[in-house]
Amino acid sequence: MNLKFIKTDLILGIKQWVRSPGTVFWTILFPILLILIFGAIFSSGTEVRFDLVVQDLDESTTSNEFVGILDNISGVNIIDLKAGKDVTKYMHDEDKKVALVIPEGFESIIFEYMQSQHDPNSTFDMNNLPFNLRIIVDPTDQTSPSILRSIINSVIQQFNINITGGQNLFGLTEEKSVGEDFEYIDFFVPGMIGFTIMTSMIYGSIERNTKYRKNGILRKLLTMPISRSEWILSKMLFMLFLSFISTFVIIIVGILAWGLNIHMSIFFFILVICTSFMFSGLGMIIGRFVKEEETADMAGGAITFPMMFLSGTFFPLAQMPEFLQTIARVLPLFYVNEGFRNAMIYNDFGETIYYTAFVVAFTLVFFIIGAFVTKWKED
Amino acid sequence: MVEKKLQCPNCNEIITLTGNPGDIVSIVCPSCATKGSYNFKKTYISENSAVEVSNLRKVYGELVAVNDISFSVKKGEVFAFLGPNGAGKTTTVEMIESIRKKTAGNIKILGIDIENSFDLVKEKIGILPQEFYSFEKLTVRETLDYFSQLYKKRANIDSIIEAMDLKAEENKLYKDLSGGLKQRVGVAISLVNDPEIVFLDEPSTGLDPKARREVWEVIQGLRNKGKTIFLTTHYMEEAEYLADHIAIIHKGKIIAEGSLEELINRYGEQSVLRIKNCKTKNTFDILKDYGLEVEREGNGDISVKIHYKERVLDILSILKSECIEYSTIDIRRSNLEEIFLKLTGARLSGSAS
Repeated sequence: MNLKFIKTDLILGIKQWVRSPGTVFWTILFPILLILIFGAIFSSGTEVRFDLVVQDLDESTTSNEFVGILDNISGVNIIDLKAGKDVTKYMHDEDKKVALVIPEGFESIIFEYMQSQHDPNSTFDMNNLPFNLRIIVDPTDQTSPSILRSIINSVIQQFNINITGGQNLFGLTEEKSVGEDFEYIDFFVPGMIGFTIMTSMIYGSIERNTKYRKNGILRKLLTMPISRSEWILSKMLFMLFLSFISTFVIIIVGILAWGLNIHMSIFFFILVICTSFMFSGLGMIIGRFVKEEETADMAGGAITFPMMFLSGTFFPLAQMPEFLQTIARVLPLFYVNEGFRNAMIYNDFGETIYYTAFVVAFTLVFFIIGAFVTKWKED
Repeated sequence: MVEKKLQCPNCNEIITLTGNPGDIVSIVCPSCATKGSYNFKKTYISENSAVEVSNLRKVYGELVAVNDISFSVKKGEVFAFLGPNGAGKTTTVEMIESIRKKTAGNIKILGIDIENSFDLVKEKIGILPQEFYSFEKLTVRETLDYFSQLYKKRANIDSIIEAMDLKAEENKLYKDLSGGLKQRVGVAISLVNDPEIVFLDEPSTGLDPKARREVWEVIQGLRNKGKTIFLTTHYMEEAEYLADHIAIIHKGKIIAEGSLEELINRYGEQSVLRIKNCKTKNTFDILKDYGLEVEREGNGDISVKIHYKERVLDILSILKSECIEYSTIDIRRSNLEEIFLKLTGARLSGSAS
């Protein structure tokens, strides 16, 4: 493997890309326009709320005092929720992003702790500490939860200092509300990323495998010291460069324009890389069997456009008829979209693993077949 | 040992023969007892050979695109592979360049059998594929830099730009160049590794006469630098102008091979010196008395057959000594077009005016 060859060819790809306004448009500006247009149409607004739903199950003087402290903090609007009500349902119904549940025993734990400090025979078990309050957050909104989480944490810390002198008597555990009321933009951006990577990779592969063949570049390269695997690797690095550029541009615009909240995890990167390889492989397969450049473009369109609409890119699958939902489940873009949504937005580890596994499997199949059928040599 | 399959002309039985290059093997058809012989052509083995091709064959289904051809290209010569479109030129050169798989035969480049060792010769050859079109968004210099970076051995890009007369265009994008300049860049690309052999597949096809001349000058320059040039063309003027050695291919078979002089002597009509607008009345008889083969032409011009080129000087001396007056003389000799027509009954389609 000659790294210099790979570097040279990679630089070639970047130069050509930068000098092709059309390609730059499709890779960067087109997704930006779509985000802005679709976002403007479907977004229900990005108003940041600091409403804090509080369900006080202890209903004691101390818990009241605790809520009172929170209520006195400017910007925090306490909404009382009676014990016995379903917190997550309430959050869903009332579009509230954060709730705090003060469990029963909040006050008594203080008394037990204080008593243990004066009574050497006390049975109070310090190992059971901290006594946790529950914060329930909507994972699609990172702004309100992060602000309210830090406010609640600081109040808890102050409580701990006042009562124990620093020991963590109280703590905070976090739970997610049922995440089905995401903003449209949260749904749309991961789909946009999947769609953008798909089109760039498929059309990029088609261009290389038809235009370069037609122009004699593949024949020329075949007679040169660069090997087919070095060339494919350099092209893949370039395509990854494109994928990451367009992905980050989409994310940045999503954040700046619509306050998109995303989680960056290793799965996000795995999905970007796999999606790039997967659709490059699909493009290679198309480019191998459809020789004419124009026909290959049409073949690319015939594959990408139906897949775009059927894979839940722009609209949730649930809105589609059942038979279309069945079709969607055999399309790789569906798994890409859902993988990105779970990894970036829902932050659901189990679902992320599930969809990523499908994406990896599709990638292996398409890229291996694509690399195998890509031939420089003429029959 | 080479294996050869033949079809009996009488009963169509397929007969398999084996022999060494140079062997003449007797054949008796096992079905109909028809007798014959087959000459296993000698493999061209020469230290002076740049390219050696033996019994090369390419078959697509029932179509025999290249039919058992053998030839050799000497180092330092311009070898022209001449033939009409579809004759098998590009198929042959692409098999030599290892772009296309061969059905049978042997190919050696610089003495190396390329069957499994093509990588060994990649650094030593430069190739301009047919209808080559480079990266349109790169400048000429960037294009040459890119291709040169993919070789271990690199020629000086400045020297190539200068030699190809591309200095004024070096910073222009490839897509903005004229057809002739693009082709010149294509030739320049084939030189970035300072190759010993340059393969140019139809380098002037589609160019206007001026651009074609420019490409010819470039190829002449390469020959003067001692490069071996393997040129495929369907323009007989191109082959006549550039080639030291010409192989004419028709329907996958080499039908004639040699230098231009050899081909004309072997297959061409006799050269003729034509005296135009002759004002001396008895010129015909005067020349006949000198023992020359003289003919009157319809328009009154007189033509004299020339058996060897020194005879031209003799005729001119006679015209001078006999004070024969005329307006002009010209010498007409056979060209490759006529030779091709004579050998195949068809015309070469291209014409490089």
